[in-house]
Amino acid sequence: MDYILEGLINGIVLLVSGDEETYSAISTTLKVSTMSIIASLIIGIPIGFVLGYFDFPGKRTLRTISDTLLAMPTVIVGLLVYAFISRRGPLGSLGLLFTLPGIAVGQTILALPVVVSLTAGAVEGLDRQLKLTLLTLGARGRQLAISSLWEGRYAVLLAAATAYGRVISEVGASMMLGGNIKWHTRTMTTAISLETAKGEFDMGIALGLVLMLLAFAVNAALSAFKKRAAQ
Amino acid sequence: MKVLYELSGIKHKYNGRLVLDIPRLVIEEGDIVGLVGPNGSGKSTLLRILAFLEAPSEGTLHFNGMPVGSEGEPPRRDATLLLQDSFLLKRSVFDNVIYGLKVRREKSLRKKAFEALKMVGLPPEEFAHRPWYALSGGEAQRVALAARLVLRPKVLLLDEPTANVDEASAILIKEAVLRAVKEWKTTVVVATHDLLWLYEVAKSVLNLYQGRIAAHGTSNLISGPWRPINDGLWERALPDGQRILAVSPSSETATAILDPSDIVIATSPPAKVSAQNILSGRVTQMLLDNSGERVAVAISLGGVSLRSTITPKAVKELSIQPGQRVWVLFKATALRWL
Repeated sequence: MDYILEGLINGIVLLVSGDEETYSAISTTLKVSTMSIIASLIIGIPIGFVLGYFDFPGKRTLRTISDTLLAMPTVIVGLLVYAFISRRGPLGSLGLLFTLPGIAVGQTILALPVVVSLTAGAVEGLDRQLKLTLLTLGARGRQLAISSLWEGRYAVLLAAATAYGRVISEVGASMMLGGNIKWHTRTMTTAISLETAKGEFDMGIALGLVLMLLAFAVNAALSAFKKRAAQ
Repeated sequence: MKVLYELSGIKHKYNGRLVLDIPRLVIEEGDIVGLVGPNGSGKSTLLRILAFLEAPSEGTLHFNGMPVGSEGEPPRRDATLLLQDSFLLKRSVFDNVIYGLKVRREKSLRKKAFEALKMVGLPPEEFAHRPWYALSGGEAQRVALAARLVLRPKVLLLDEPTANVDEASAILIKEAVLRAVKEWKTTVVVATHDLLWLYEVAKSVLNLYQGRIAAHGTSNLISGPWRPINDGLWERALPDGQRILAVSPSSETATAILDPSDIVIATSPPAKVSAQNILSGRVTQMLLDNSGERVAVAISLGGVSLRSTITPKAVKELSIQPGQRVWVLFKATALRWL
């Protein structure tokens, strides 16, 4: 038990003293997760809106595919993206493997089904009277689409927060696509994994605390968005 | 008066079921038309067609002399519909009111929004920045009405505007609607079950039943079961033991329409009259209509309410008042079958 308590104390000391290696992993995580969440929102919100708002042949099938991809294992995403961006892969020339954009590609693919499915669900769940109200107040074409999405903004933020939660907590894709390179592509989760394997708990616990703090912040945001979406 | 709407041979279906069948209807500019009738009679469907939110399955609709639907966008920005449930956008009261102005790229938003809020009796300084969820039902309905009035619409369509509001809100909604008609010559079509409210507002009333215009005016609808008695006469028993007599209904469950002007009111039991229906009841409500020429008298006959219209002079001569026991007389042949 002592070594756990000792690890916790040392972890806090690492955070308070501003340990460079610890903060490098935190900074890498924040950078890569920001890239991936922005990319997944830019791609996912329009797709989710189209899936939720319009009726067209094949809509149900696309929704089912998106919903199924919600449970896609992170290592499978890592494997697929690795195959594409490795030197022998079709996108090998881009030199993305073992870089932050490389990890961001994998994380974007992980977050995308979350954003698409939850946005589509949010748009489908909009009050039936909304469209009538917007039309009768004079909205047309693009105004109608933008106003509808704005009405579902809290539910879309909920989708973003859920996707962010998935992105910061995943380890498989980051490990495979980033290579866990110290000072470069080492994220909080890959660092925890490595340090624990080495029997070094101090940094693992320090990063674990930060990760828990982030998870708490994401959860608090989720709760606030849920409350607003229900009003 | 200029004709604003002209409907010819309108039929509308949902999943193959006919919900509206209007051979002809003309609404003039500046008119205030009331739509009454039971639930499912087609009032809301007609309003959605008049608001150009739905195109009729069959028939032609002319607006301002132009055919609607044949080509181009329907003139949706000329007509605005206030929905039955006071649906507000998830934004502040001010942003709700200015939404229609913003999509039209109009200016002086603050001035116009504040005027509209004042018109519906909501002090702008107090309400403009309130969020959508911090309003009572009556306040929300008035904000929704302000969002329509701010557009100074050519046509204002109201679906049960007083269904979920308190009496004070109903009065404020009435005053705002009448002001729009007076100041901007807005044409108003209002569907409601609130006949007393409607009586104070409407210039004409259409009685809808099963998608058809059954009568003009706030006619009485008397539904079955009917039971044959003799000589082609049928009776409809009332809960208090009295009975309404009618001639040859189409079925036992047929519904008859009885024009309020066919009902005669007496303050003592009449003797030797040709009318076969002589029923006793109590006056429950009396209201002077919008024109000031007729008084609507509601009479309760053991659970069934009938409306009669008489002149203010007749009210004075009979000296009737709410609560008073009266007798109503009408012929069995006055009941027309729907």
